[in-house]
Amino acid sequence: MHDKTVRRRRAVLALLVVLSLLLLTAYFGEAPNGRLHGVQRDFLTVVSPIQDGANKALKPIRDLFGWFGNTLHAKSQLAQAQKQTEQLRRELVADQGEKRSYRQLSSLLHLDQLGVNDYQPVTASVVGKNPDLWYSTVDINKGESAGIHVNDPVIDAEGLVGRVATVVSDGAEVDLITDSSMGVSARIGTSTATGLLEPKVGEPNDLLLRYLPANYRPNTGEYVVTSGTVSSEPSLYPPGLLIGRVSSVNEESAFESVNVQPIANLHSLDIVQVLTARAGSQPANLSRLAASLPAGQTTGTAGEQLASTQVGG
Amino acid sequence: MNGAASGSLALRLAAFAFVVVLFQIGVVSELPVFGVSADLCSLLVAFVGLMCGSTAGAATGFAVGLLVDLALLQTLGLSSLVFTLVGFWCGRLRELRDPQGPFTPLVVGATASAVALFGYSLMEFMLGVDAPISFELLRQIVLGVLVNTIVALPMWALTRRVLEGALPEDPRRRRRRRSYTTGGLSPLTKP
Repeated sequence: MHDKTVRRRRAVLALLVVLSLLLLTAYFGEAPNGRLHGVQRDFLTVVSPIQDGANKALKPIRDLFGWFGNTLHAKSQLAQAQKQTEQLRRELVADQGEKRSYRQLSSLLHLDQLGVNDYQPVTASVVGKNPDLWYSTVDINKGESAGIHVNDPVIDAEGLVGRVATVVSDGAEVDLITDSSMGVSARIGTSTATGLLEPKVGEPNDLLLRYLPANYRPNTGEYVVTSGTVSSEPSLYPPGLLIGRVSSVNEESAFESVNVQPIANLHSLDIVQVLTARAGSQPANLSRLAASLPAGQTTGTAGEQLASTQVGG
Repeated sequence: MNGAASGSLALRLAAFAFVVVLFQIGVVSELPVFGVSADLCSLLVAFVGLMCGSTAGAATGFAVGLLVDLALLQTLGLSSLVFTLVGFWCGRLRELRDPQGPFTPLVVGATASAVALFGYSLMEFMLGVDAPISFELLRQIVLGVLVNTIVALPMWALTRRVLEGALPEDPRRRRRRRSYTTGGLSPLTKP
């Protein structure tokens, strides 16, 4: 009797471990449109409405707990925000003049082909979040039926949040800018110094802007924005979306690089906007092209690797 | 345990695991404490192992892991493997040592969380995620274990309450009763 129990226990463990390893091997080896990925998408389709309902029902609980943290956080940021407002007000006055002349020049040179005007925002609620260190993803409650496609940029009130990684009829998964698969072509402030913004995997609150021009000297506190498509370097993201601020400059690396702290509070995303490109527009074509690239060509993103291969050499 | 009781236990476990995974993804993951979120799933698996034994622990671990990987579009099988081992280990702990101290859930919860976090990180490294072994990574793991330790006792109480009535018999109590009924001396008759 005892032997039988021991044998059964060992058999169950061996079976489950072997099943896990089989799943792992099959999933890791198959293409993104493979059968197991399809099962995951189907599961997400089924679970999305439940997650959406649960998210709405549990929102008061989340808000209650979030309120304590947010109050402490808000108090500590108030003084800093007031100082920033003063500085931004001064900058705004100066920028308004420059903006007017930029519009005139860009309309003459047709530089605004990939501007935000090519995108239509779709507002969505965050209904789920991956908590671990290795994946930074959120699930949203809008999908294909709302016109969302893979690789569409996702923003919130503060700035760029990420990009759509997987989409089903009524839901989508968004890779946050801190996800290991992300890479965004970005520039610092008003300069023309562009580089590739990547996450520092294992450090969920930091990004790294690499491959900046060797002669460029960045300053701490400068804003980092998406560079958009620059001459021959295509980007999935419209130019000028705020991403973060330079937190420190790395002196030791061969390429000039800076650490960037994201502006958007990625820990408490509630409402986001997906920038869907109009059919036939340049961003839509670019997005389709990126999605059709073979999986795993570089780091897994089908999107900004277009920029990364060129910027990063 | 008879068939009806084990059926009732399986049903309760399935429903509870589903609710916990949804609650984890929808609420707990969005409430960072010290910059990290609690992981109720690893605690659930550990406590099921501790209450129900190694086979139930391993099976629950596999199912919870699969559910997490499916819902979060992660590499399928990764969480299942880690949680299966965590559930089995906690089940064996019950079967071999049957710890009864008041701090058992804390210690088991912390250890299970540490094993799950380190195991998951190790698997990610083996699968080729390009990440440095940084101080920040270690800090996140340590903080994750700490936060899980804080929520271990409420999670233990909740799990116990949900599974109460369908739990298999306490092995130590069973051993004690067997010794009385098969001729062993009662403590009252001991010299």
